Amino acid sequence: MTYSAPITEEALTGPEAGDLAARALQITKVYGSGDARVTALDGVTLGIPRGRFTAIMGPSGSGKSTLMHCMAGLDSIDSGRVLIGDVELNKLDDKRLTRLRRDKIGFIFQAFNLVPTLTALENITLPMDIAGRKPDKEWLDQVIDTVGLRPRLGHRPSELSGGQQQRVACARALASKPEIIFADEPTGNLDSRSGSEVLEFLRDSVRRMGQTIVMVTHDPAAAAYADEVIFLSDGRITDTMVEPTAVKVLERMKGFDLPGGGA
Amino acid sequence: MMLKVTLRNLAAHKIRLLLTAVSVILGVAFVAGTLIFTDTMERQFDKLFSNISQDIAVDVRAKRDPDFVDDGTGPAVPVPASLIDTLQRVDGVHSAFGNVVGYTALVGKDGKVLSTNGAPAVGFNWVDGDFDLTEGRKPQAPGEVALDTKTAERAGFRIGDRVRLVVRNHPTQQATVVGLLDAGHLMGASAIAFDTATAQRLLLKPGYFSDIAVRSDGVDENTLRDRVAAVLPPQFEAITGTEMREEAESDVAAILGFFQTFLLVFALISIFVGAFIIFNTFSMLVAQRTRELALLRAIGAARGQVTRAVLGEAVAVGLVGSTLGLAAGAGLAVLLRELVGIDVENGLVFGPTPVIWSYAVGVGVTVISAYFPARRAAKVPPVAAMRDDVALPQRSLRIRLAIGGLLTAVGAALMVLGLVGVELGGNVMIPVGFGAFAVFLGVAMLAPVISGPVVRVLGAAYPRLFGAPGRMAQRNALRNPRRTAATAAALMIGLALVTVVNVLGASMRSSVDRAIDTQLGADYLVSAQGGQAGVDATAIEAVRSVPGVEQALPVYIGQGRFDGKKGAYVAADEATVKAGTTVKLRSGTTAMGEDGMLISTDEAEAKGWKVGTVVQVRFSDREQERLRVVGVYAKNDFLGARVLPTAAYKAHESAPPFMLVVNTARSDAATAQALRRALADHPALQVQDRAEVKKEASAQIDGLVGFLTVLLTMSIIIAAVGVINTLALSVIERTREIGLLRAVGLSRRQLRRMIRLESIVIAVFGALLGIAIGVVFGAAIQNALADEGLTVLHIPVGTLVVYLVVAAVIGMLAAVWPAWRAARMDILKAIATE
Repeated sequence: MTYSAPITEEALTGPEAGDLAARALQITKVYGSGDARVTALDGVTLGIPRGRFTAIMGPSGSGKSTLMHCMAGLDSIDSGRVLIGDVELNKLDDKRLTRLRRDKIGFIFQAFNLVPTLTALENITLPMDIAGRKPDKEWLDQVIDTVGLRPRLGHRPSELSGGQQQRVACARALASKPEIIFADEPTGNLDSRSGSEVLEFLRDSVRRMGQTIVMVTHDPAAAAYADEVIFLSDGRITDTMVEPTAVKVLERMKGFDLPGGGA
Repeated sequence: MMLKVTLRNLAAHKIRLLLTAVSVILGVAFVAGTLIFTDTMERQFDKLFSNISQDIAVDVRAKRDPDFVDDGTGPAVPVPASLIDTLQRVDGVHSAFGNVVGYTALVGKDGKVLSTNGAPAVGFNWVDGDFDLTEGRKPQAPGEVALDTKTAERAGFRIGDRVRLVVRNHPTQQATVVGLLDAGHLMGASAIAFDTATAQRLLLKPGYFSDIAVRSDGVDENTLRDRVAAVLPPQFEAITGTEMREEAESDVAAILGFFQTFLLVFALISIFVGAFIIFNTFSMLVAQRTRELALLRAIGAARGQVTRAVLGEAVAVGLVGSTLGLAAGAGLAVLLRELVGIDVENGLVFGPTPVIWSYAVGVGVTVISAYFPARRAAKVPPVAAMRDDVALPQRSLRIRLAIGGLLTAVGAALMVLGLVGVELGGNVMIPVGFGAFAVFLGVAMLAPVISGPVVRVLGAAYPRLFGAPGRMAQRNALRNPRRTAATAAALMIGLALVTVVNVLGASMRSSVDRAIDTQLGADYLVSAQGGQAGVDATAIEAVRSVPGVEQALPVYIGQGRFDGKKGAYVAADEATVKAGTTVKLRSGTTAMGEDGMLISTDEAEAKGWKVGTVVQVRFSDREQERLRVVGVYAKNDFLGARVLPTAAYKAHESAPPFMLVVNTARSDAATAQALRRALADHPALQVQDRAEVKKEASAQIDGLVGFLTVLLTMSIIIAAVGVINTLALSVIERTREIGLLRAVGLSRRQLRRMIRLESIVIAVFGALLGIAIGVVFGAAIQNALADEGLTVLHIPVGTLVVYLVVAAVIGMLAAVWPAWRAARMDILKAIATE
């Protein structure tokens, strides 16, 4: 069961669409104007299936981060539609969009994920605190135990290692049971051991807890943890790969004209 | 090269530097405004004095006794008219004529004495050539006067109008305006001319003058003065016209000088507060640029070069701030002029002094304040350029604690010294002032240590009341204790001083109330508004004729020398003392007779006098008398240190009673009404019952408290700018964090609230520190002045709570702009910020 891109618009609006956590329909995003005009997304259509770990890969400048930002409601699109569940993002004002991010979306950024003045536990419950909701205690305990941070809950971020910080970020993203989690190069700043810990944890949360995760990465080894990889180049989806391995992904990446490393 | 770095930085941080400059601008504006204003006033007076009496070569008058303050009552020793003949026979004298000057107030159309806003109300004899008539003719007979045109215009009188005049020692006078004279700019004063005989009768005594002016027939004024002096009886002296004008000018210069010093003290406070802001801003700018500074060091910049680059920015900010401050100061001078209500003929005087001082103060303060951050900037290790998370090397708080504690202790000790009366540099205000200054600096240094627990307590309710934004606001305020402390300290200073003023004001009010309750015996007091006119005999008769009035007794006040020592005294009869006050005799009797006197216990102790001691008293007419102490009374604020019998006073002084103490059968509204009706012909006199005496005293105190608070407001405004600055810079520093918070769902409203709450907690912390210091200072000063009559310590809790709320509001307002900026940030850009 895959919803590999490129995909038709009908498939995403049809009866099977209920299984999609997020959808992008013919979205375009253009930066600048005149000579400096850059088309970051060029009519991308894509569906993110529920309960799956999807990786978005592509070389630098391929638009993968822009795609994630647009789907997560952090950036606006120039045309097309983005839906989280059944909610269409472009119809929301800032207030509703903020609330949607708070309640329906989890975020894991590459770095600077945590509020330095709050303890690990306070960071984990932050979105719920902002919403004024009480966290689901049982669920919270389960998340905390899964990330294995119980002894360090009272510590401030500055007292945690990079890997621990990212695990706190993961726990925060999970704790509010969002419909979808967006992770932007979550292991980009970590050494390989800490990185694989985080990635294993993300994969487990999909397999065991049924979470939906979209991860942007340029690291084939990271992409290999996903159920499916979507390849992006020049603002278009060029390919998809189910059950990826690092080697297969790397092979596939070599097909791109790499203008340079990095995200 | 480093200059280029400095300039680029200035360009890159326009807004923050502008905010820093605001504190310089406000402080400099205060200094410049004060200097420009006083310069302007001085020139105005100079012109006034150089214009008058230009043709007077020599002036003859009674020898001045420096001990006796000239209170405008005219000379104690008048010059006899017969001296004119003697003078006219002196070789070189062209002519000699007498001047009479005395208090004369015009009654306005509303039946009240025309206000001169504190300027003198002068009556004098018409002398041809002294003034020009603009209309009508000169006064020639009793019942005729000429008014100066400005006063006539202000009161709405024209030639032919009947006017009423208040003079000392006489009932209210009726007169017809026969002329208007051009006295130029009197700055609020009123001038009324009589014919010479009338002026002598009403203002001095017939056959006498206040002074005699001599015109020269060509002889040099110094020569003429010496010739004139040779023929004078010993109690008189001759001065040249130049000396006379200089004397008048120096009197005014002294008053202006006092006023200038007074305003400059407040300007200094503003600048002191501004220094905190500048220090804080530069500390933050340096902290934010740590990596860039490290890079400069890594590529070979010497420490000194880094320091100079930062100081270069300070110089630029100082220059810009001073220039704008100077301009704002000119505006302030105009405002001050309007405020003082003096109409000045010419434009502002813009001399070099304000310009020099503005730049010296503006640039100086900025550079000194920026020096410490600049030195810290140079200590950034070059390796910091390579590190991800860089922090400036922070000196441990322990050193700060030690220095701060020491400064506070030294400051407190200095203040105590000053308050117990130890003079440094000839003034008790110097140790007190420097002590307060040191305490402020010390507490500001201690503030980072204090801020932790206090902010934790203050913000304790935040998480519960405001959820996550509340919690983060509290933590943010705790995040950088030095920054929070420096920001709060700026506000602390202003509020400490406002608190001192309010505590002293409230204590004064309570002390006066208590003194009236426990020491005043009279039901009513009758006195002249402003005190100048005195109570004349017809007014006393009028009061005594009111039904129900049992006693209406005159009280006089005067100055004298007691065994060689200067002092003020009250003159009253035994009955008056008993009726007017609740005097408590400690020894002897109150029966003074004609040559007895009473003294207070304080005076007895200070001089070692007791009942039976004979005291040599010299009066203002230079005559001496020996009075025997017959009684010693417990401290009484209405009697002061000494009481003399009326007979002794009248033998030497001519001023009418200062007030009447009135006791009535029933002190009710009807009696008060009857008293007021009886005094309808005495527009300068007011009747006050005990409550009204209290009310008048509190009104005066309130006015003073209000005036000082307004002057201190400038420093509070500067502190508010500091809060804005800190928050704005913090927001920039926390850009990434704010982006993250917005991404995970913090709404703009919540973000704004978070910043606002942080601002409020900082402001309230500063206010609490200030109020605490202010209460301690106030209590210390009250304690020191308890012997001077400030017997009650009254802490106006309600008012202080209001100030605390005001501080919270200031915090809220200061957060508006930074919060708006933070909420407007683009989330993605914020997250991507380095």
